[in-house]
Amino acid sequence: MNLDPFLAASPLLVVALGGCLLMVAEAFSKHGREENDSRSAGPSGDLALGTAITLITGAIFSAGIWFVGPDKLEGSRALEPYLILDRFSLFFSFVLCVGGALSALLAGGYLPEHKLDRGEFYPLLIFSTLGAMMLAAAGDLLSLFLGLETMSLGVYALAGFRRASPRSTEAALKYFLLGSFAAAILLYGGALIYGATGHTDLAGIRAAITSTAATEGAANPAVLLIGVALVIVGLAFKVSAVPFHMWTPDAYEGAPTPATTFMAVAVKSAAFATLLRVLVEAFGDPALTSWASGWPPLLAFMALLTMTVANLIAGRQESVKRMLAYSSIAHAGYVLVGLVATIKVGGDAQASIMFYLLAYTASTVGAFGALILCGSRGAEAVSYEDLSGLGRRHPAAAMAFSFFLLSLAGTPPTAGFFSKFYIIKAALGAEHYVLVVVLVLNSVLSAYYYLRVLVFMYMREPAPGAPLARPMRSGYVTTALVLSAVLVLVLGVFPSTYLEIVAQAALASR
Amino acid sequence: MEALRTLFPASDFTLLAAILALPALGALVNGLFGKRLGKEGVRLMALAALGGSFLASVLTYLLLPAEGKLTWTAWRWISIQGRMGQSIPIDVAFSVDALSGTMMLVITGVGFLIHLYSSEYMKNDPGFHRFFAYLNLFCFAMLTLVMGDNLAMLFVGWEGVGLCSYLLIGFWYGEDKNAAAGKKAFIVNRIGDFGLLVAMALIVYYVGTLRFDGIQSGASSLLQNVKIWPIGNMSSGTLPGFLHFLLPEQPVTILAATAVGLMVFLGCAGKSAQIPLYIWLPDAMAGPTPVSALIHAATMVTAGVYLVARLSAVFVLSPAALAVVAVTGALTALLAATIGLFQNDLKKVLAYSTVSQLGYMFIGVGVGAFAAGFFHVFTHAFFKACLFLGAGSVIHAIHVRIHDTDRSQDMGNMGGLKAYMPITRWTYLIACFAIAGLPILGSGFWSKDEILWKAFTVDIMAVSAPGVSQWMWPSWLGRAIYWAGVTGAVFTSFYMFRSYFRTFHGEFRGWKIDPTWKDPGHGHGHDDHGHDDHHEEHGEITGPVPHESPLPMTIPLMVLAAFSIGAGFLVAEPIHVAPLAHKLEPVFALSSRAIRQREGTEGLLFPMMLPGIAAFLAGTVGAMVVYQNRRGEPERRFATMFPRLHRLIYDKWRIDELYDATVVGMVDALADIFTIADKWIVDGILAKFTAALVGFFGTVLRAFQTGRVQVYAAAMVLGLVGVGWFMVKPHADATVNDEALRRSGEVKLSAAPGLGYSYRWDTPGVSETTFAKTTEHTVKLDPGETKDVTLRVRNAWGSESSETFTLTRPAGGRRGATEPGALPAPQPPTLPTGTIPAERIPDLIQPKGLQ
Repeated sequence: MNLDPFLAASPLLVVALGGCLLMVAEAFSKHGREENDSRSAGPSGDLALGTAITLITGAIFSAGIWFVGPDKLEGSRALEPYLILDRFSLFFSFVLCVGGALSALLAGGYLPEHKLDRGEFYPLLIFSTLGAMMLAAAGDLLSLFLGLETMSLGVYALAGFRRASPRSTEAALKYFLLGSFAAAILLYGGALIYGATGHTDLAGIRAAITSTAATEGAANPAVLLIGVALVIVGLAFKVSAVPFHMWTPDAYEGAPTPATTFMAVAVKSAAFATLLRVLVEAFGDPALTSWASGWPPLLAFMALLTMTVANLIAGRQESVKRMLAYSSIAHAGYVLVGLVATIKVGGDAQASIMFYLLAYTASTVGAFGALILCGSRGAEAVSYEDLSGLGRRHPAAAMAFSFFLLSLAGTPPTAGFFSKFYIIKAALGAEHYVLVVVLVLNSVLSAYYYLRVLVFMYMREPAPGAPLARPMRSGYVTTALVLSAVLVLVLGVFPSTYLEIVAQAALASR
Repeated sequence: MEALRTLFPASDFTLLAAILALPALGALVNGLFGKRLGKEGVRLMALAALGGSFLASVLTYLLLPAEGKLTWTAWRWISIQGRMGQSIPIDVAFSVDALSGTMMLVITGVGFLIHLYSSEYMKNDPGFHRFFAYLNLFCFAMLTLVMGDNLAMLFVGWEGVGLCSYLLIGFWYGEDKNAAAGKKAFIVNRIGDFGLLVAMALIVYYVGTLRFDGIQSGASSLLQNVKIWPIGNMSSGTLPGFLHFLLPEQPVTILAATAVGLMVFLGCAGKSAQIPLYIWLPDAMAGPTPVSALIHAATMVTAGVYLVARLSAVFVLSPAALAVVAVTGALTALLAATIGLFQNDLKKVLAYSTVSQLGYMFIGVGVGAFAAGFFHVFTHAFFKACLFLGAGSVIHAIHVRIHDTDRSQDMGNMGGLKAYMPITRWTYLIACFAIAGLPILGSGFWSKDEILWKAFTVDIMAVSAPGVSQWMWPSWLGRAIYWAGVTGAVFTSFYMFRSYFRTFHGEFRGWKIDPTWKDPGHGHGHDDHGHDDHHEEHGEITGPVPHESPLPMTIPLMVLAAFSIGAGFLVAEPIHVAPLAHKLEPVFALSSRAIRQREGTEGLLFPMMLPGIAAFLAGTVGAMVVYQNRRGEPERRFATMFPRLHRLIYDKWRIDELYDATVVGMVDALADIFTIADKWIVDGILAKFTAALVGFFGTVLRAFQTGRVQVYAAAMVLGLVGVGWFMVKPHADATVNDEALRRSGEVKLSAAPGLGYSYRWDTPGVSETTFAKTTEHTVKLDPGETKDVTLRVRNAWGSESSETFTLTRPAGGRRGATEPGALPAPQPPTLPTGTIPAERIPDLIQPKGLQ
């Protein structure tokens, strides 16, 4: 029996298997089912570690197969077109596993601190990550939808994890309603495309589009175009591009912070992975990538809107978490710029997107993790004022927060600087000057609200009697922060090395 | 020896790593763990680091080949691209030849002695470990400076010693005066560093390397004119009328070698305290006295002379630059010597003496006598370090009762110390003889007279090259410099012996000596002041018998005094003893070709020594008469006869005040203007206004975020409708390819593709009626003809859209299809790929200037 297909799919299998084991372990654990009073008694301790280990194993398997080379594994193509196990998928498996593992570590500190210590958080997290990995590998509209829903259902539950809080429930419900709406749009688009072309696999759709563009009557272009529009809208919802972003701030703010982190890093990265794959592999025909009539101007317009709107609103936020939510929308806008550039500079632009998503994952996990670290039960860090004087009271926590915010703002020598730099470089290569100018202006805007946190932490003294954030102590959160910081620094100091590595993962278009 | 040579081959001389690493290690250990090590540990670490480094330096010096050098390349730092497209590697590489080897010996040898001295001098200072960390770091930086194999490494060391100098001048930063002195040194040096950076850029640009070897062999590429004004490509059309005076008819050019030389010398003037940048060095005496001895007398301040000598191959190409160096040196030597005449602060006298002696060194290198100038660096290191340490020893003794820095350094509070401090007295006297130039024995006699002799006899030949004109030295210049130097030498011996007699002879004026006196308070660190001035008694005070300093302080004094005499015989050319000169000869072999002895001066060698000896005698005897026999009476009489002149000289010619009024005042005024601009324009209009604008839009957009899920869904629907509308609407657009337009009049249009599109091309005359799948269309134009081409697009829903392109072919058959190949075909304007809006096409087809 040839085991190569299993080996090729091993990152997925490892994560799935680990998720099942953890679920069983959680079910039979002797921990109490409801909120415990003592913080150490909850199941989080073991489960967070188990989840992190499972996901890190998945990441290690992805990296291992990467180094062996997926094309060297006979039968790695056996699961095509449903799962395409190429370097692109492996790269995203790695990023998603790392994002998931770091989120799990954050949860390991956050849940007990805030009396949310229930074990189901972790299997949900693992299976969502599994869905995200499937989504990134999907080469067929069916498996794409399956992965998307596997990921989304878990995240809906995670968003509403703080059952007692109306905001959390509201966030979950809004996310679920709008998510279903977007899923329906995506599914409808897929159906129309299938109707027009007779294919659900991306390669087949591509072939049908090419023949339609060349000869009359191969497929119905009217139906096909509507299908393309619907699919793009469905995926734009998941990456929270303006105007499909409105669920994001509410859902991010209401969800418990580790779940927010997971949504901001893993869900977004997976959505970008599949958007990139669909656009390049299925909709990559010149007839659809024309600057006059194809999807690039649409996405460019969305990118302009996303960057500008998100940054403008983020500057007006009073809650730091909500600011970070808008910041994550803005970052989606920057990635969209790279996505537009793929039609002209191809591999470079794809590499810049992948570099960006890895750097963004590390920086965002760090920023949310620092936010978690800065607050404890009853003294959460919510508004800017809560952080006043933190630099003096708790220099370590303030320092960590500053570091990740500076990376998000794009300050050298952090990963954030070079990720933006490569996106700009790709966009310049593709001669999208307007996009570049708007991107740079928006970076300036974003520096305002990122640095505002630093201003409060280091230059403001708390008003007497005002509520203050009191940092918590947690080895898990600290570990996650240290890992992210290492990643941010390594990517920032040796950027070209990693860019060369991720460039190997670029999809071959046309 | 042979075994060592095989162990350390000349091209990979790893011993250099040890010489560098030991002080670096000492700085690291003392800096990080100094507090835990305790004083003994710090002392051991610092001394062992310098001692080991010294031994390795001696070994290196012994292994030095007669010609060539020892090199060690650590790693490739960066590689940059030159103007010819060649790559210019910049390595972290070190090399030692006779020049840098001698400097190494001075740095580590004198450095070791001063470390030893400091371990006693600084014994009671709370910052003991910090002091030795800085001192070790300084040695590391200074070694990097002299051992660097290229200008970039030299610059690393250059900045490193500047930093350490700043840290050590402000070592007692608790007092404002010291911190200000540190800042002054740092800022004045920055001005010089600017020059050095510009010089490095010029060298990279013209010579294409930063390695000293390469600069030496490629220096001739500096023999070309450089336009220095107007800068860049400014032409008269680019400036408004009233600024036209900035654009002279003829661009101002100077020789590249002159530009490089002057810029290098600006850096040297900063680091080596020459006019106009010497003002920081006297203030730098605010640092502990051993620091003054090591950094501000023996090593760092001579880095400028070292650099000029190192780049001698560049300087000899430009007599003008050499003249600037020599004249500046002579003026500095004279000016600083006059200031030294009336100073009362012992360390200030020595500081101005250092500035003056540095001036002599620059006379040496400026008249092309690189070996002689460098020889003065070498002898000066010994006698000036000895003088400073002797002064430190005196201050150490005075400090027992007088804790105020200024008063403990005032010669008015000294006198008569020869009875109490015999070793200090004798070593100080010997060093005074050395600097004043006691014939035969004093090392300063040999080195200074060598310099002056060379200045008197030099004849610098201008290296000529096609297209450049060289400025020539007038024949009187060398002689003028010579007489300036001799005058300075009179002053030198006068003020040195003035300080000697006022310190060691006469009556002790510090306090009333009471042999039974006991220190009532706690022990003080000397120089450790500021915080314990509160119980300073005024008026008549009593104190113990002044004591000689302990051995760790007197041993360095004795060793240095011995060298103050002996070092002279390393290059005593008139009596044909010159081992050091022979070692240095190969280093300057190339550059000495341009230097010649003036004709008719061969027989003057011995006669010309007489003015030097006369200067020594005049100064010494004068000082003796005035301060020994007549107890300073003539000076007081001079002060009452010419009160304003005396005051002016005592106030250092008020140069600091002049700078404050002019340069500093201008910078302050500029800063005020920018403060106002910053407050109103940057903060007001740019920052506040844009922030308000951005905030306003943010608030407006935020209003849409109502929290109602129906609104969110509605926004999504709107977005979906927008996307759908864009997809359903047809878009007519085309790219125009007119490469063949001039040749045959053909223009190719290709329509942007779209899914389900069909196209129709309408041209006047030819009108198609049906839509087809063809995206390409070719139009043929006659010369001078203009045509409108309309593209109509129909999409899958049957909606149509159109776009019209106006195509024009330039008229005139002079260049065109009729004479192919008669003239080179004009380069077609490069078209950006992608689509072009119709209104831009005529521009592209008829670019300006082609018709």
